[in-house]
Amino acid sequence: MIEVRNLTKRYGGFTAVDNISFEAHPGQVTGFLGPNGAGKTTTMRMLTGFMPPTSGTALVAGFDVFEQSMEVRRHIGYLLENVPLYRDMTPRGYLNYLAEIRGLPNRRQAVDAALERVGMSDRAGSQIRYLSKGMRQRVGVAQAILHNPDVLILDEPTIGLDPRQVLELRALVRDLGRDHTVLFSTHILSEAEQVCDNVVIINNGQIVAQGSPTHLRAELERGGRVLVRVAGPAEAALAAVQAAPNVASAELALDGIVATPTSPEIDPRPDIARVIVQGGWNLVELRPLAINLEEIFLELTRQEELETATPEAPDTLPESEAA
Amino acid sequence: MSRVFAVFKRELVHYFRSPIAYGIAFALLFFLGVLFNAYITQAVSQYPADSTYIPGLMTFLLFLVAPLLTMRLLAEENREGTLEVLMTLPMRDWEFITGKFLACWGFYTVLLGVTLIYHVILTDIGIPDLGAAFGAYLGAWLYGGAVLAITTIWSAITEDQIVAAFLGAATVLVLYLAEIAAVWVATQPGMSGAADFIRELGLQAHYNATLAQGIVRAEDVVYFIFLMVGALFVTTRIVETRRWRS
Repeated sequence: MIEVRNLTKRYGGFTAVDNISFEAHPGQVTGFLGPNGAGKTTTMRMLTGFMPPTSGTALVAGFDVFEQSMEVRRHIGYLLENVPLYRDMTPRGYLNYLAEIRGLPNRRQAVDAALERVGMSDRAGSQIRYLSKGMRQRVGVAQAILHNPDVLILDEPTIGLDPRQVLELRALVRDLGRDHTVLFSTHILSEAEQVCDNVVIINNGQIVAQGSPTHLRAELERGGRVLVRVAGPAEAALAAVQAAPNVASAELALDGIVATPTSPEIDPRPDIARVIVQGGWNLVELRPLAINLEEIFLELTRQEELETATPEAPDTLPESEAA
Repeated sequence: MSRVFAVFKRELVHYFRSPIAYGIAFALLFFLGVLFNAYITQAVSQYPADSTYIPGLMTFLLFLVAPLLTMRLLAEENREGTLEVLMTLPMRDWEFITGKFLACWGFYTVLLGVTLIYHVILTDIGIPDLGAAFGAYLGAWLYGGAVLAITTIWSAITEDQIVAAFLGAATVLVLYLAEIAAVWVATQPGMSGAADFIRELGLQAHYNATLAQGIVRAEDVVYFIFLMVGALFVTTRIVETRRWRS
């Protein structure tokens, strides 16, 4: 169980994590999603007791990350982004070293179990310097699950793996999610959709959306919004769409026009198609919005950009340049 | 304490697996061997066998050996990112820093232990003063611990091992040469108090005239232990600041 309450981290004048709150529950994989530099790693570092928050609190397994750091660290397994390991040690030697520091009662058994779970038993005696990236990643995961922690924090564990290893690792994460609280960060959206029961989307240090992938999709599809892409002058097309029957409002977004119908039950697409064709423009694309997380994500991060950069909104749609 | 021991064990094993540590040990012992050979050929006819010669030489050579032994202790972990792993384990910062320092001191102890062979050789030739030998070796051991702890500070400050080694050597040299600075300060009018103070800060003032002669004074032992504890405290604080800025 992870409970984050109003967590903030500032470096000098720069706010890396800005007043975020979310929860991650046992038996679930929670995806922590955001572009590079959104504040994912900073948040994870605060949760693992590496750095203290500027303000706000976080409870991991019921312990405060600042006040009870040692307890938190005992209950947490942490896989760092670049999986730092001692190159001169073997996986078995390394795990045994960590087990000793953690003071585990049955060291040999714990090390064997962790190696078994990540499928590294056969290479447990090779020096880490000779292992491939994928194998090192597995040693990193073994290191995180060694003490059977309540909470697992995995920082971009699939980066740099080949497609097959990615699939294996995702399966492993899903498997671990059944009996642990897993917080899993990624900037790959399809991955979050496949692996996670719950998604927290973070951008510029702020949470822009959270919920299950299906819930998020429903959220944005609600209202029956449609995306229109037109080859032609954007402003004129926008005006036409806004004037179309059954369309309550329309705006420029997502490299096109996002139109909201007067009521969610009404499908405005036939009317929009008609006004576009009547206007003499070519209709490039017309479909319900938010098909996958990718678009939800683009939409959410884009909205902020639009809000901050409204005066310089483009006159023409990017597609129209080709026409 | 078991955590300090776990880190100590891994780091000590690392020294014995590391080609660099063997290189340092080889160079040091070879150099000491050559000088001892030159010393003994003279000593046979000119002066009594003196077991304090080698530990005395060792304290001088530490300005080179100590930075080379400690430069990677924290700098490497910092650069490789393994420091973050250590810092998120259920272990206090001082615990792994102490474990690492003790391993380094342990390796130095082995090196110093190897040089006891020269004492054995001298007992075969003459009758060296056992008391002086004991004091000199105890002194060289404590002296080494203090110097290693001081050079560890630089390893925590920079992630570049070469920079850490260079600054470490410079720091140790300054502490070694404090006596010479004191001599100069003493020539200035009305500065004899300051001169004494500077002299007492230096390493040699607590070794050459006392421990190396077999005189074990509490103040010298306390001086070296204070340097060790103080330097480890500073190192811990420096590592802690990474939590606030990295």
